[in-house]
Amino acid sequence: MARTPAQHEITQLLAQWREGNQSALDELYPLVYDELHRLARRYMSRERKGHTLQTTALINEAYVRLVDQKNVAWANRSHFFAISAQIMRRILIDHARRHQYAKRGGGAQQVSLDEAATVVMPDQSGELLRLDEALKSLAEMDPRRSQVVELRYFGGLNNEEIAGVLQISENTVTRDWNMARAWLYQQLTGSGAN
Amino acid sequence: MTPERWHQISRIFKSAILLDNEARAAYVDSQCGRDESLRVEVEKLIDSHGKANADSFMEGVAAEAAAPLLTSDEARPEILNKGQPFGSYIILDSLGSGGMGEVYLARDTRLDRTVALKVLSPDISQDERRMQRFRQEAKVASSLNQPNILTVFEFGEVDGLIFLATEFIDGETLRDHLHGKRLGPREIVDISIQVLAALDAAHEARIVHRDIKPENVMLRRRDGVVKVLDFGLAKVTENRYTTAEAVTEFRTAPGVIMGTINYMSPEQAQASEIDERTDIWSTGVIMYEMVTGKMPFRGSTTSHTIVQIIEKDPVPPAKLVKAPVELERIVMKAIAKKPSERYQTAKDMLADLRSFQKRVEMDAEFKQTSPLITQTQDDVGRQKKRVLVFAVIGMLLVTAAIFAVNMWRSAPKAGNPSVTTPAVSPVERTLTYWITVQKFKNEKPYQDPFTLAGEINFEAGYRIRVNVRSPQQGYLYILNEGPASGAPEYNIVFPTPTANKGSSLLPADQMIQIPEKTWLKFDTQQGVEKLWLVFSENALPELDSLKQFAGTQTRGLITDPSRNKAIKAFLDTHTSKPEVEKGETLTTVKAAGQLLVYAIKLEHH
Repeated sequence: MARTPAQHEITQLLAQWREGNQSALDELYPLVYDELHRLARRYMSRERKGHTLQTTALINEAYVRLVDQKNVAWANRSHFFAISAQIMRRILIDHARRHQYAKRGGGAQQVSLDEAATVVMPDQSGELLRLDEALKSLAEMDPRRSQVVELRYFGGLNNEEIAGVLQISENTVTRDWNMARAWLYQQLTGSGAN
Repeated sequence: MTPERWHQISRIFKSAILLDNEARAAYVDSQCGRDESLRVEVEKLIDSHGKANADSFMEGVAAEAAAPLLTSDEARPEILNKGQPFGSYIILDSLGSGGMGEVYLARDTRLDRTVALKVLSPDISQDERRMQRFRQEAKVASSLNQPNILTVFEFGEVDGLIFLATEFIDGETLRDHLHGKRLGPREIVDISIQVLAALDAAHEARIVHRDIKPENVMLRRRDGVVKVLDFGLAKVTENRYTTAEAVTEFRTAPGVIMGTINYMSPEQAQASEIDERTDIWSTGVIMYEMVTGKMPFRGSTTSHTIVQIIEKDPVPPAKLVKAPVELERIVMKAIAKKPSERYQTAKDMLADLRSFQKRVEMDAEFKQTSPLITQTQDDVGRQKKRVLVFAVIGMLLVTAAIFAVNMWRSAPKAGNPSVTTPAVSPVERTLTYWITVQKFKNEKPYQDPFTLAGEINFEAGYRIRVNVRSPQQGYLYILNEGPASGAPEYNIVFPTPTANKGSSLLPADQMIQIPEKTWLKFDTQQGVEKLWLVFSENALPELDSLKQFAGTQTRGLITDPSRNKAIKAFLDTHTSKPEVEKGETLTTVKAAGQLLVYAIKLEHH
């Protein structure tokens, strides 16, 4: 059984990461992942069918459970969201990759019904992988804009929350998003081959 | 690109997109000076910005699809460990996991036999729909006692975990066995006969499987015995049902889709009643795949595949590979579009296959394979023209109010659109269209899209796509006119700055799907929605210029009253009666002259 991490442990790791300790992120990642996973499953078993699992709600709940609220700092919350966005991105990308792999292995156009419940639309998986690649290239030129995309698209954060995470104004978030999105569109549609 | 260059571009870009077209060009010019490549980069990016907006690019949030994945198998640890007792079973090994839960190899200690244990994951047990499917599978399969149907031993619960114990088959699925290859006639016949024997038993018990596909056909390694699996979607035929129900089964979490549709019969794809003959169809599709190595119906997208299933006559196998004539005949008969033209029972099809099998075996004995293999035969005679049936009943009346049009030589100016010239030559315009419907729930696609045919419930949340094709090249414009109390307001649907590369020109014989990626959404207001199709031999600059209003923000709404008035005047003036041919799903419209104006009417009730 995975142990439930103590709140202060998470809080400390977040603080260390904020101070630039990258290995703290490596420790945080699985802890947050496990909690999100656990919460998601509990949520699904508790709720009646037809309910949708909201990613942002899930992340919020995980945050409340994992982070020591007495020593709460806004920055902690922001960093927690940033990690969650990364996790969501990785989950989707891994999934898309597996799907692509399965597709190359031949087989029907869509997956079998049994697997169906867990599978993103096939047409999207290729696009998602290309988006991920393009986002990596963007991060090399412009890390902040790439983070804006990650937080918004994969973390489900709104502009205000993103502004909080990145310590920039909301207007800047909007501008960053416009620019990054136009560039990604160009990369993905090939309309801007260099 | 260097970060410096990137930031230079971004600085110009962020100001430029706030300006209107003219000011923007001047601004970009002033900022880029003589640096031509910089200007090109900036302009490309501005262009992409516009297109990204129009396409709703990345408007959704991928994160919402990630959350359900967190609950899926991929992230799920195994529930039971090797050697662990589970009721009267002992877990021997994990065989893998499916959407419903984990599958284990286990020993039944009471009867000392090896079984496959399908253990439902706890969160699935809470899902009534999936539980229903699981129970159904157990109930149906255990009521059928036939060597080609997977035997179900027990359905029960241990420590709150629901499980299904079935016979364990050491083998592979037909999907894995095929792996893109073709099979020889003897093997094809051997497998098909066993599948049909299973179906025959099921049909005798008035059970339709409804989900026959290579994934659900298992081949036992030891002796090649075929087992048909997964009666989870099966239904007793006394209860008539439609695809609306069947398709629901394919629905999964939001943003997340669906089972294999390639083996679905036309009636399944079309919301018609289905019966045993749907299984005949699916068996025929599998056989086709075994013969040719290819699926007969396979489009680039789900809707394309559905349209193919409904509309397209498959390429006869002999055109693709050397195949025995008789085998081809059996396959093509099984996949006749009309159920009444297929084998009516599994027994009939079995009889044909068995006599063919005898011939194959005899031929093998005499090593005379040649009589079986012949070249492509003429099958024109067999491909009877399907009778075009047209029925529009029910809650959505799709009536086509037709207005034809005489020649329109030059584009009339707005406000003075009544300039017409009489036809000078017996030219005509032809346009074929069909409509695909996608249900939406909570702003998310819900169930598979389907092609509009016959009756359908047109409810709020239905969105549509128009598919248009013409044997002639021409300029196409599509406008939407909603139910209006006062003067009509139009939405420009096509062309847009991005669809068809921003052009209104439709090349001959090319299908265009409008919108390309999204769906048309109507107001919930009751009344008649008109979709005006304008198809002209010559470009119509007045309509082309409407493109600027297309975009997702306003959904192409044209607000300028004088412009709307001009459009109305144009549509009103250029109408007469064209010839309309209605198929099951396709409608073809022909009008004399160089211009065709036609309104598809969609009525909310």
